[in-house]
Formats: sequence, C-alpha cells, structure tokens
Amino acid sequence: MFTDFYHSFYYTILVIGALTGLVFVMRVDAPFKWLSILLLATLISEVVAKFFPSEFKTTNNNPVYHVFTIIEYLIYAIIYSYFFNSIFWTRLLTISVLFLIVAESINVVFFQPFQFTPTNSMILESLLLIFLSLSLFLKLRTNIAYANIFMEGVFWFNSSVLCYYSFNILIWGFHSIKVYELKNPPTIIYNLILLLSGVLYLLYAASIVLHYLNKRNPKQSK
Amino acid sequence: MINLLALNSTDVIVFVFAGIVVISLLFGFILYFILSYRHKQKDYLLLELQKTEIENHKIVIEKTLSDLKTTQAQLIQSEKMASMGVLTAGIAHEIQNPLNFVNNFSEINKELIEEMQQEMDKGNLDNAQTISNDIKANEEKINHHGKRADTIVKGMLQHSRSSSSGVKEPADINALTDEYLRLAYHGLRAKDKSFNATMKTDFDETIGNVSIIPQDIGRVILNLITNAFYAVTEKKSNYTTTSAVGEYEPAVTVATKKLTLLSGVAGVRISVADNGNGVPQKILDKIFQPFFTTKPTGQGTGLGLSLSYDIIKAHGGELIVESKEGEGSEFIIYLPFA
Repeated sequence: MFTDFYHSFYYTILVIGALTGLVFVMRVDAPFKWLSILLLATLISEVVAKFFPSEFKTTNNNPVYHVFTIIEYLIYAIIYSYFFNSIFWTRLLTISVLFLIVAESINVVFFQPFQFTPTNSMILESLLLIFLSLSLFLKLRTNIAYANIFMEGVFWFNSSVLCYYSFNILIWGFHSIKVYELKNPPTIIYNLILLLSGVLYLLYAASIVLHYLNKRNPKQSK
Repeated sequence: MINLLALNSTDVIVFVFAGIVVISLLFGFILYFILSYRHKQKDYLLLELQKTEIENHKIVIEKTLSDLKTTQAQLIQSEKMASMGVLTAGIAHEIQNPLNFVNNFSEINKELIEEMQQEMDKGNLDNAQTISNDIKANEEKINHHGKRADTIVKGMLQHSRSSSSGVKEPADINALTDEYLRLAYHGLRAKDKSFNATMKTDFDETIGNVSIIPQDIGRVILNLITNAFYAVTEKKSNYTTTSAVGEYEPAVTVATKKLTLLSGVAGVRISVADNGNGVPQKILDKIFQPFFTTKPTGQGTGLGLSLSYDIIKAHGGELIVESKEGEGSEFIIYLPFA
C-alpha cells in the first residue's frame, strides 16, 4: 500500500498512536483523553485524505487538511485549557480558535483555495501552539508539582508540541517561499514532515502511557 | 537529498542553517527549562521540608504552651492553697481564743445561774440581782467573742473563694493588716512550735477606710508577712548553726501611713519590714518575676510576689522593695484611696 519508508513509518506510528489512545482513552484524565481523541482524529483525517480524491473525483486531498487544521487546533485548545485550568486561558483559547477560523476563511478566499495546501493556516496554527507550549512551560516552572518531570506525560506532550511545530513553521515556511512554485518539488520536504509527524505521534502515545502509569502509582511522580 | 538539489545551493544552505538554529534554540530552551525546574524544585523541597519542620515545632510549642498554662494554673492554685494553709492554722488559733471565752463564760454562767437560784430560794433577792448582773455581763462577753469568731470565719471564707469578686469596697486597712499579721504569725507557730518573732505595728489611725478588694489585698499582706517571717526564721537558723543564738532578735514590723502619692492622689503606704538576711542586689529585680524563688524546691512556687505585684497594679498602686543584704528588707505597698 505504501511504497516508501517515510509513508510506512508515518502511518504505522499513527496507527500505533491511535490504538494506544483507544486503549487508554477511558483510563486517563481529561487532557489526555483529548490527546487520544486527537490521535484518532488524525488517523481518521489521513484515511479520509487517502480516499478523498477517488471519492470526490478531485486532483488532490488538500480540502481535508483545510478542515483538519481547524479541528486539530480546536482539540489542542481543549487540551491546553485543561492544563492551564483558568478562566483567563479558556477565554484566550476560545478567541484563538475563532481567530484561526476567520484566518483560514480569509486564506481560503484570498490566498490558498481548497485545492492548495493550507500552509498559511498551518503556520499560524504552529505559531499559536508554540505560544501555548511556552506558556505551559512557564506555568510548569512556576508551580512545581512533580518530583520527576521526565516521567510526566505533560512534559513530553508539551516538548513535542514545541519541537514539532517549530520545525513545522520552518518547513512549511520554506515550502511556501521556495518549493511551492516548483514543477518538481523536492520530496525530502514532505518526507521530513512525515518523519517528524511520526515521532510526534509516538511521543503523544508515550505521554498518554506515562500519564496512565503515574495516575496508577501517584507516589512515583508526586 | 537529490530532490533537494532542485533548489539552488543558497536556499539549501539557508534551510539547513535555519534548521540548526531551530534545533539549537529548542534544545537550549528545554535544557534551560529542565535546569530551572530542578533548581526551583530543590528550593521548593527545602521550603516544604522547612515548612514541615516549622509545623512540627509549632505543634510542640503549642503543646508546651498548653502544658505551661495548665501548670501555671496549678501553681497559682497551690500558691493559694499554701496561703490558705497558713491562714487555716492561724484561724484555728484565733478561733480558739473566742471559743475558750465562750466555753468558759458559759460554764461560769451555768454556775452563776445555779447560785442565783439558790439565793432566790433563800429569799436573798439583792444577791440574786447582783448575780444576774454578772450573768448579763458574761452574756455580753460571750456574744462579743461569738461575733469575733464569726468575723474570723467570714474572713476565712472570703479568702478561700476561688476567684475574687473583683468589686472594690471600703475596708479598714489597719484592721485588715493587723488581722493578717496575727493570722500569719499563729499559722506559722502552728506549723513550727519553735518559731518566734517580735511583731511590731505602727498603724496610722487617721487612714480610715480605703476602697480595695479586701480578699486580694489581704492575700498580698499575708504573702509579704509570711515572706518576712520566713526571712527572719532563715537568719535565725543561721545563727543557731553558728552557736550565736542570743545575738539575733527576729522582728517583723508592719506599718501603715496616710500620704499623698507621687501622682498627687491621696493614698496609703503599707510597709512590711524584717531584719532577715535581705535580698541580694543581683536578684532584686527578679523577685517579682513569675516562678522566681529563692526558697528550696517544694517550699515556694515563686508566684507569691508575682501575684502580689499584679494585684497591687490592678488596684492602681505600686509594690516596691528596699533591701540591704545582711540587714533586712522592706516591702512597701502604695495604694490610692479610690
């Protein structure tokens, strides 16, 4: 089904991540429940993206990513609202979701219609997530709640978000500026994205498992 | 990588360089976060440890404070009981006198009545009249001594009240001082038959009544007099051990005087002086502190003077001490009239 290593790696990890989420979804706290849902949603979106062109007789599957960018950020906003656990942050996250919806609408109408990859929205989403990730690090540093931070799901989740979306900006930014208009774009850009995404989902799955283990034996971490 | 060559070399270099910068920044940031988290964690743990330690200390201190309060209450009670002991012995002696009078005069009256009946039977009405006059005089004496015993018992009851009523009432300071002097003396005599001291009084008869809480001031006077007797007894025992008994005559002088206090208010001065060993200068400023005592363990609570000081202060007065080591001490109470 997948001819190259990068796609095989990406989809295998995504399936493993989604299955991990499915196994632990009922056993973990709310933010990790939503992280499990995010993994499942990502898998569903990739499946839809795979069959979208043949089903709708179009040339590409980019419309799926236009919609999924919004859904993905919405789930992230829910996850972060649980981690921040304050009215101020809930309001800020709600506003950021609305802002991304408006920005994506403008992007679709004026810059990147449905048949194009929504790199502008993805970069904007990445910027918002980097901001959220840095803010959560600040909060974690202010409230010392864990004995061993390396054993905490929240640490690995947040670190993954920060690293992945930082590279996302770099890669999609580079893509928008230099690769976008090429007739034969270098596939290594996309392969890099697949590789990083695979690592991201692997770390998400690991954070879910770590959180579950800590929840089962609270003495180990608190 | 081959595909990447579709781009020009400058773009590739920029992309790779930007990637290295991003990796370095991320690595640096996460490392900084971990290090600062650990640093704060150490501080936090130390703070938690100190907090726990402080809380433990707090619990211990609270328990100690509670124990101290209980002990203090017990000591105050035992101080009252100690003065009560002195009083009881004194009262027993004091009450014995009027009782003796009552018993003796009632015996005499019994005989006189028999005698009077005999005279009446003989028809000697004049003699019977004379005897009846004697009986009447004796009855007055019985009544007088009965009232005296009544006063002593009432005084004892007043003193034994667990807490003072706190109400000031006009009281004869001279009578009060005299009464407690005798009670203290007889109380100590009842405990120790060998105890003896000369009691001197110098009362200012112009003082009249002073507004005080009698049982409280009585307690103070009793305490000062008991201390004075203790001091002279101590000194006498030193003379006994050095075989120079005849050289020392223990004496306690109690005096009152009407005067104008420093504040310009009219008041009264009550002094209790002894010719004991005196209070050493180095401990003179400590004797009014609670639990400070020079007496051997078990003989003094160290609260007598402290409570006396508090009582006099509560009356708006002053309690001071003048002492010369080896020559004796004088405790002086200044009380305003109102």
